[in-house]
Amino acid sequence: MSARRALWWVVATLVVVWAPAALACSVCFDANAERRAAFLGTTIFLTLTPLAFVFAVVWWLRRRARALDAIPPAE
Amino acid sequence: MTTISSPMMPTNVRAVPPAPPVRRQLVSSAMLGMLIFIAVELMFFSGLISAFTIVKSSAAPGAWPPPGQPRLPVELTAVNSLVLVASGALAWLAWRAFTRRASAPQAARSLLGAAALGAAFVVVQGVEWTRLVGEGLTMRASTYGSFFYMIVGAHALHALAAIAALLWCWRQASVGRLRAPQLGAVLTLWTFVVGLWPVLYVLVYL
Repeated sequence: MSARRALWWVVATLVVVWAPAALACSVCFDANAERRAAFLGTTIFLTLTPLAFVFAVVWWLRRRARALDAIPPAE
Repeated sequence: MTTISSPMMPTNVRAVPPAPPVRRQLVSSAMLGMLIFIAVELMFFSGLISAFTIVKSSAAPGAWPPPGQPRLPVELTAVNSLVLVASGALAWLAWRAFTRRASAPQAARSLLGAAALGAAFVVVQGVEWTRLVGEGLTMRASTYGSFFYMIVGAHALHALAAIAALLWCWRQASVGRLRAPQLGAVLTLWTFVVGLWPVLYVLVYL
């Protein structure tokens, strides 16, 4: 293992082990476990929805591009 | 024009410039615009869904829907949802008829059927809202009412706009002026409206 890679692993381990939970939004916390789960769930939902949309569009465009490539160009 | 001379070639042969690469349109302007619009609307509804989920989870156990507020028509709306899904299926039959069989009259008939079923869905929703308002579920009555009319009302507005677009496509197909990119863009909008509804139904009604 190179020194640079070893350093990367050490830093990554320290970050994972020592980093405390950072509550980005001061109101996104509640003593109620159900509400905390709702905060977490909606955060994941709002994060993944646009990504899923972008990936779906890219996948569809790639499929279209391949289909168009399969058609020989008109003379 | 460049003249090439080499020991292997006659001196008067001229180099032919390479043909420009063939550029093909990957996606029509209508479809690109519609995809951008749907991306915006998707995030709009995602925001509403998230806000509703958090407010619903904040309610005390057994306090959602709030006591004293009328209950939503779960069974009738389930049947109405099937009407909307049937409308979506008819719209895709129109697409198949138009693109695979090149049958504009058949596509026009399917589009009219899709628009009629979509309109029936909105009308039934409207009748139910009238009843709910009469029973005291208004925008200002509670958070429950606010979210209900906001989420379902926003969906109904989208449905109305998409039905108008379906009717426009039907008119264009009837006079033989409909083009595939236009129909594709409108069907994408209608598929979004139809596909979103079951999510909203489960979230708001159940």
